[in-house]
Parts: sequence; C-alpha cells; structure tokens
Amino acid sequence: MTDQHTPPTVDEPPRQDSEIDPTRRRLLAMAGGVVALSLAPGVSVLARTLAGGKGTGRAQPIRYGLLIDATKCTGKCDACVNACVRYNGLSTDRGPDYSQWIRKVTVTDPKTGSVSRFPVMCQHCAEPACVEVCPTGASFKRSDGIVLVDKHRCIGCRYCMMACPYKARSFVARNLTDQKPWSPRGRGSVEACTLCVERVDKGQIPACVEACGSQGKKAMLFGNLHDPKSEIAKRLAQYPTTTIRADLGMAPGVHYRGI
Amino acid sequence: MRNRALIIAGLVVVFFVGAIWGVHRGPVPLPKIPEASGHCVLPTAEIRRDHRMLLRAVREEMVRHKTGNPADRLTNCISCHVQKNAAGKFIPVNAHGQFCQACHVYAGVKPDCFVCHAAVPEKPFAKGSFVNGGAVPTAFPVPSTLSHSMRVPVGDHP
Repeated sequence: MTDQHTPPTVDEPPRQDSEIDPTRRRLLAMAGGVVALSLAPGVSVLARTLAGGKGTGRAQPIRYGLLIDATKCTGKCDACVNACVRYNGLSTDRGPDYSQWIRKVTVTDPKTGSVSRFPVMCQHCAEPACVEVCPTGASFKRSDGIVLVDKHRCIGCRYCMMACPYKARSFVARNLTDQKPWSPRGRGSVEACTLCVERVDKGQIPACVEACGSQGKKAMLFGNLHDPKSEIAKRLAQYPTTTIRADLGMAPGVHYRGI
Repeated sequence: MRNRALIIAGLVVVFFVGAIWGVHRGPVPLPKIPEASGHCVLPTAEIRRDHRMLLRAVREEMVRHKTGNPADRLTNCISCHVQKNAAGKFIPVNAHGQFCQACHVYAGVKPDCFVCHAAVPEKPFAKGSFVNGGAVPTAFPVPSTLSHSMRVPVGDHP
C-alpha cells in the first residue's frame, strides 16, 4: 500500500501557518476574544479569593473550641453559668421559661462511684446535627466553627432541639424585654450558646471562660483548635481528653479532661 | 326599593360630609422625626428608601459570613438615633413618636426588629467614634423635602 502514496504535487504546496485563510483567522481571533472576556470575571473573582480579603473568613483555618478540665471544676461553683446569664441577658428565674445556654452537670460512674462535675453547653460540632435537620437554614456553622441560630430565618420548629444530643438548645416561648444589644433574642426562635460571638469577634474570650478564670477554678480554656501554637492546641496534645458522645461522630469543638 | 331616592340622597350626604371633613382636616401630617446625633451612612433620600435592603444585607453578612460594614448595623442606627427623656434615660426607638416608630406609623408598617433586638443602645453614641468603613462622611445635604417642621429638637418625649 505504501507504494501507492504520491508525493505532494507542485501546485499544492504544504500549508504553512502564515497561510491561514484570513476569514478563519478572524474567526479564531474573535473566538479567543470571547473566551478571554468570559473568563475575565472568573479570574478576577479567583484573584480576590486567593488574596483572602479581610473578613472573608475562609482563608484562615480557624476552629474555635473549648477545653474544660473536669478535674479542676467543682460542684459548688456556678461562675460560668452566672456569667453567661448576666452577659447574654438570660432570665435568672430557673422556671419552665428558663433558657439554658450552659448548665453544670454531675456524672457518677456507677461501677466505681467516681464523681465528676463540669459545664455543658453547645458543643459547636464540626458535623452538627442541628444544622443537618434545620429546614430553613437558620441553624448554621460559621467558617470559624461556631454553630449559631440565625434568628432572622428561624421559624421555631424546634427540630434542632430534638436533634441535638447535648440538649444544648432552648426555645423562647414568651415575649422578652430588656434584651442586651449584643445578644438579640426573642419569642418564637430557638437559641443556644453562641460562644459569645460578639466578644470573640472583638478578640475577647467567652464570658464563661473569663468568669471561670477570674472567679472560678480556671477549668476552662478557649482558643483556636487548628492553630498548633495556641494554648488550647498545646494542652490537647499534652494530655488525653475526650468529647461527650464522641461515638455520634459529630466531632464536638468542646473537649473535656477527666470525665 | 321604595326608598331608593332616600338611600341615594343619604349616600350623597355621607359623601359630601366626608369630603368636607377630609378637606377641613387636611392631609395626614408628616411624621416628626427626632434628630440624630451623628451622620448617616447614606444620604437621607437613599437611606429612607433603602434602609430595609441595607439592614437585610448587613444582617446576612454580619451574622452568617462575618463580612459587611459594621457601620451599617442596626445597633449603630439605634445608638445614633436614640433620644433621652428628662431623666436622662434612653427612650426606646420603637416607642411612640421616636425615630423608628414615627415613620412606620405614618407609613402603616410594623417592623419586627424589636421582638429580638434591644431598642436602646448599650451606651450613648460618641461623636467621632463613628467609622464608615474607614471614611468618616462629612455632612450630607439635607433635601428640601425634609424641612425644619419635620424635625423636633432633642428634648422631652413622652
């Protein structure tokens, strides 16, 4: 078959790049222009994203969490609970309308009789069940790991309260007055520990942690779990800790020592 | 329908009485808006029309994404627009005749912001503390529609 190949004839020289049909060249140029134009916005958005502008909250791998040392926490101290109630303007009346953002629990090992006491609040899970079940997207996790209720979207269905294994959330059933300007809360929406976002965003620590340090037993530590240089990450690496109901796989951001 | 003429006459009388009463009474007076203690983030005409959108946008950004201009927050509006009574205590901005309520009553709108949000600030607005994305705005021209008759001086309010 090879012998049937004929060399190119003289009147049909091999095509060179410079001899592209002018119409085709224009078409190619136009196509290139269209492609460039359509990609340009994407490229600029990408550039902004990569630049990690202030406040985007996505570039920094922050995960806020708590470390609670149950070996230091005692039964008589209520500093963290009181600080939370005071700062967030919760009711001090522990009746049926009491909004429980943080509570002290006492657990006893039935076999050994050993007792430990520690506070329990929203565990700010990495895989929060409350966010999974929320039908309106009101339950959400911020980019820094804080799980919140967007009360603008909450319809008060209380699915999240059912889903949360930590009983961390409460429902406001009556009209409230005298809310704190930094802690809006009202009738018809679910609420829970916010890890004091207003304070955290200002670079402060949550009210409970501050109170535990000043009036309590210094059993609570707040920090960025993802920053290996932070005190909380160092301590977590130093000694064994656990999370409550770790078997549920929700990866809580609140770690406990000595329970 | 033997009383048709009577009914029509009655309707005409009611119409004219209503019309005369309406003309005599004049249009519904414009709301008296207490004066703010600082400068707004937008020109008056724009904030008046668009404050809903601005607040909706900033609540989404601040609450969910930690972005947005903190100057646009409702708490800032409140601390700038809140009035004090004779005793020096803050009057809630949603109280009768106060900044939010005065206009919303006039417009027949019932905002539900204050079901959750505090209607009084934590502390009074400090002059010069206001930062609008780094640029402190200078005085905005007040549109002629906002005459002095619509503004009441800061003072006693019920």
